[in-house]
Amino acid sequence: MTLWLLILLPISAGAVAILVTRLAQAVAVGTLASTAMLGAWAAAAQTTSVVSWGPQLELTISATGFARVMVVLVPMIAIPIVLYTAATETIGRVRLVALLTAFVGAMELLVVANDLFTLLIGWELVGAFSWILIAHETDEAANAQKASHAFITTRVGDLGLYVAAGVAFASTGSFAFSDIADSSPTQLQVVAGGILLAAAAKSAQVPFSPWLFSAMVGPTPVSALLHSSTMVAAGAYLLIRLAPQLDSVTWFAPIVIAIGLTSALAGGVVAAVHRHPKRLLAASTTAQYGLMFVAIGAGSTVAAAAQLVTHAAFKSLLFLTAGTAMHAADSDDLGGMRLGRRLPVIGAFAAIGALALAALPPLGAAWSKEQILGAAFESSPLLGVAVLVAALLSAFYAFRYWLLAFGPGSTEPGQTAPIEVTASIGFLASLSLGLAALWIPAVNEPAAHLTQGRVVPTRALELILGLASLAIAAGFVASLQRRARLAYGVLLPVVATAATEWFGIADASRRIVVGPVQAASRALAEFDDGVIDAGVRASARIASGLSRSLRRRSELSIDAIVNGIGGGTLLLATGTRVADDYGVDRTAEGIARGLGRAGELLRRLQTGLSHHYYVIVAAGLVALGGALAMGTS
Amino acid sequence: MESARQSEPLLTATIFVPLVAALGFALLPGTSDDSRRRITTMRIAATLLAAIPLILMVVAWLRFDGTGQFELLESTRWIPTLGVGYKVGIDGVSLPLAAMTALLFVASIAYPVDFGGRAPRYLALMLFLESASLGVFLALDMFLFYVFWDLSLVGMFFLIGAWGHDGAQRSALKFFLYTLAGSLALLLGIIGIYLKTDPRTFDIPTIIEQGVLPAGGAYSTLVFLGMFLGFAIKTPMVPFHTWLPPAHVDAPAPASAILAGVLLKMGTYGFFRFLMQMLPGTFERFAPALGVLAVISIIYGALVALAQTNLKRLVAYTSVNHMGYVILGLAAAGWAVTGEERAQAIALTGAVVEMVAHGLITGALFLISGSVLTRARTYEIDALGGLAGRSPALTGTTAVAAFASLGLPGLAGFVAEFQIFAGTLSIQPWLAGVGLLGIVLTAALFLRMLQKVFLGALPDRWREWTDLSPAETVPLAALLAMVLVIGVIPFWLLDVIDSTATAFTGP
Repeated sequence: MTLWLLILLPISAGAVAILVTRLAQAVAVGTLASTAMLGAWAAAAQTTSVVSWGPQLELTISATGFARVMVVLVPMIAIPIVLYTAATETIGRVRLVALLTAFVGAMELLVVANDLFTLLIGWELVGAFSWILIAHETDEAANAQKASHAFITTRVGDLGLYVAAGVAFASTGSFAFSDIADSSPTQLQVVAGGILLAAAAKSAQVPFSPWLFSAMVGPTPVSALLHSSTMVAAGAYLLIRLAPQLDSVTWFAPIVIAIGLTSALAGGVVAAVHRHPKRLLAASTTAQYGLMFVAIGAGSTVAAAAQLVTHAAFKSLLFLTAGTAMHAADSDDLGGMRLGRRLPVIGAFAAIGALALAALPPLGAAWSKEQILGAAFESSPLLGVAVLVAALLSAFYAFRYWLLAFGPGSTEPGQTAPIEVTASIGFLASLSLGLAALWIPAVNEPAAHLTQGRVVPTRALELILGLASLAIAAGFVASLQRRARLAYGVLLPVVATAATEWFGIADASRRIVVGPVQAASRALAEFDDGVIDAGVRASARIASGLSRSLRRRSELSIDAIVNGIGGGTLLLATGTRVADDYGVDRTAEGIARGLGRAGELLRRLQTGLSHHYYVIVAAGLVALGGALAMGTS
Repeated sequence: MESARQSEPLLTATIFVPLVAALGFALLPGTSDDSRRRITTMRIAATLLAAIPLILMVVAWLRFDGTGQFELLESTRWIPTLGVGYKVGIDGVSLPLAAMTALLFVASIAYPVDFGGRAPRYLALMLFLESASLGVFLALDMFLFYVFWDLSLVGMFFLIGAWGHDGAQRSALKFFLYTLAGSLALLLGIIGIYLKTDPRTFDIPTIIEQGVLPAGGAYSTLVFLGMFLGFAIKTPMVPFHTWLPPAHVDAPAPASAILAGVLLKMGTYGFFRFLMQMLPGTFERFAPALGVLAVISIIYGALVALAQTNLKRLVAYTSVNHMGYVILGLAAAGWAVTGEERAQAIALTGAVVEMVAHGLITGALFLISGSVLTRARTYEIDALGGLAGRSPALTGTTAVAAFASLGLPGLAGFVAEFQIFAGTLSIQPWLAGVGLLGIVLTAALFLRMLQKVFLGALPDRWREWTDLSPAETVPLAALLAMVLVIGVIPFWLLDVIDSTATAFTGP
């Protein structure tokens, strides 16, 4: 049961932090540190805990496989981010600290889930928390709209998990990860498709990528956390966990590669031209997760896992530096920053992040890139070359980002970053440096074991090609820098404009999906009022007219009509071969009488003296009951 | 089907305590110049009286064994010549529904409302309606069921007509006539079943056990269709739903909460108790049609809700959507398949959880709408905005209720919807797949509502907006606490429902 504290501790700490406003930061950091330690214990002990929700529903959690790394990584990355939040956020600081802390609990559930049902719970909670986090600055109406765009896009992906869970259960009678492979071949394909849909949406792969741009309206720490070890990470994490189970689905790996490669290249181009620091980094997130998808498709789960971890460290680092730069420059345009002399320490930390993104050995991020390249070349030379291009793009926008944001520029003295900011960014920078240990076989081989994968032996060719692409990118950046063209990018203006708007994907989805749904919704609403209800209203008018005319006629004709209705019902009853004709006859007459009274009531109500006639309704009901009693005796 | 256990008249007291209390309030003199204090005292007294059935339902819950049979039976001779008896009892479906009903009535009666100078009569009617509603779920005699069924109709009609606003009388009448038409169809169905019993009886357990109406033939089909019409109108299923939005919009908030939370459940409960349990063979034949209608209700309800600009109409149409989930689960559970008993039990359990969850969640949403109306004098979403800063309690409760309604895990709706879909995917993957689109649409429409009402800039006219009072917060908190408990630790509920679900589908 201790295992559940991984989830409950951060979530309840979030609630406590709201209450103890002044201690919120201490509560949050203390809790996250405890969660990280608890995670380390869970990873070592590898215990399993099962909670039963009902006879057919069980939640199984344990830190196994790659989860043993993630369970520590998630709270560890969150600690500096929360510190940064506490030091910099001006709007709803306590609320944001509390939500970020609670969010870690949801992500931990996703990480330790051992079956599709538990996974779905964590998966959807992470999505909902992201909505609240992105919409954090609520005064701006557009923020909430963008947050909804993010949530709804990823929820479309969640449908995949619903289907995967349901179909796996239909096929095997179980939701457990370990039983997925036992599904019948057809059903396994559906499961694989559902999982891929969910993963691609969460990891912002093409065509879901634009939601990450919408998510940029969230505060900097939110972006830092969503893009590193949580939310976006969930997609790749899921594939790393489940890809071995889906081996027998022949189309799975090629499609994963296709999605990943498209995302890596498209995201790379977008990042290469964007002038908004956070959007540049967001596009790079899509590209880097694209490379993880390629690795998974090419059969190297360990490369993807290593890339996920190293990316978590350097991307959270880069986002925090971007936030600091935007704050210092009071601008979100990379064109006029160059804060190297004003923020030398932050600039140095940012350089570590940028070099990691560019995959310079001996940083750990270079090992994971080299592994991805190796796996890609093993799979096909063509894929290797494509990955090389993506790597070149990564290096290009990494250098570009750093030079524009922290390159040497104005010497004017300005405010320096608060110590908490420097400390949290420094922590993430040292984490990126520490991950250089991944080059050591004693580290990377156990890591490979965790993901049921294997290490591709490092080959000189790939290493040289990787370094060469890095050098080309550096040279390119340097030449642009000399010509003072770096901020404007290198592409034709028309391509660059398209790229900054994600090649119109968001626009297309608005036109192809959102627009028609809204139009259908409005049309159906009118149809509902105008057509379906019209029939009801017409019968009401007829009843009302009938009741008026009944009032004008004599008692006798009322009887005649009532008897007519009764007779009609009787005919119906006879048609059903009811034996007890007499009883039904009388009952039907009673019903008809009740209807007559209802019609009467309608008329009286319209005179506005309604309360008098409540009595009549009651009397009508008594009459109904009476008729029933007599009729069936 | 009956367990032998006899006990003190627990369920009878559950039904009749509020009825007696209602009589008491009806006899109180009501004057238009009632002091606030007197009104508050009366409301608290009524709340406490309404809570007695809730306590009794908790006791019943503790005594419930989950044998898969009807339990805690209480019966007495009533009109023996007709085979009419007074008989009440519970199983794993009626117990959660009755308990939810009791809780929702406590919250609704406690909720402050403009009594229009007729506080005693309003409270009397609410208590009367509580009695009738509990009677519907606890009755085990078709005649008794029908009596309570129609009494609930009368109670609701008066509440909407007399305490509603705008076109209340018109809406009340539409509600009354439309559902009365359904009632009459139901009555014909009941008589149709009754005439096939031998010896003649209205006793529900006996009829279920004997299976008096096997599938096939025009007679069974007509009986089924008559009852179906009655329940489909009440539920309501598309296209029999158009009475619902106007009734909700013009009803006072607590009546809306009861209408959506309790009265709609009578329809879905009827589907299970009558159509599935008494006419299982015919139900199997109609299950595919029901499944299709359910999916239409899911998508249609969500799409129409998406276009609404009126807060209450929006919530009303989400009810159509959610009742679609329930019917989908029931259709899957009653589908003509073999070897899928586990999946069918899951679908059935999910459907019943959805009934309970929807009662609590939508009840809360309608009470919230009432609070919005008393402050804004409008339900128009576009007229609101930016309220988050002014009213954290209102924002928080609405957000929780909205997320629960869109099926967020950790809240009750998810437990229901996941089971419905997981179960249905085993039986009819295509129906479930199309129905799943509903959860994206509900997410879109609720987020849009939250965004327009609470986020963005605060319009000047709402500068003086006041947050929820304790009298509003406490009932909402009680309902949403239950939503959270079911969402996080639902085993106590699922076990109870499953006892009847597996008895129905087979192990």
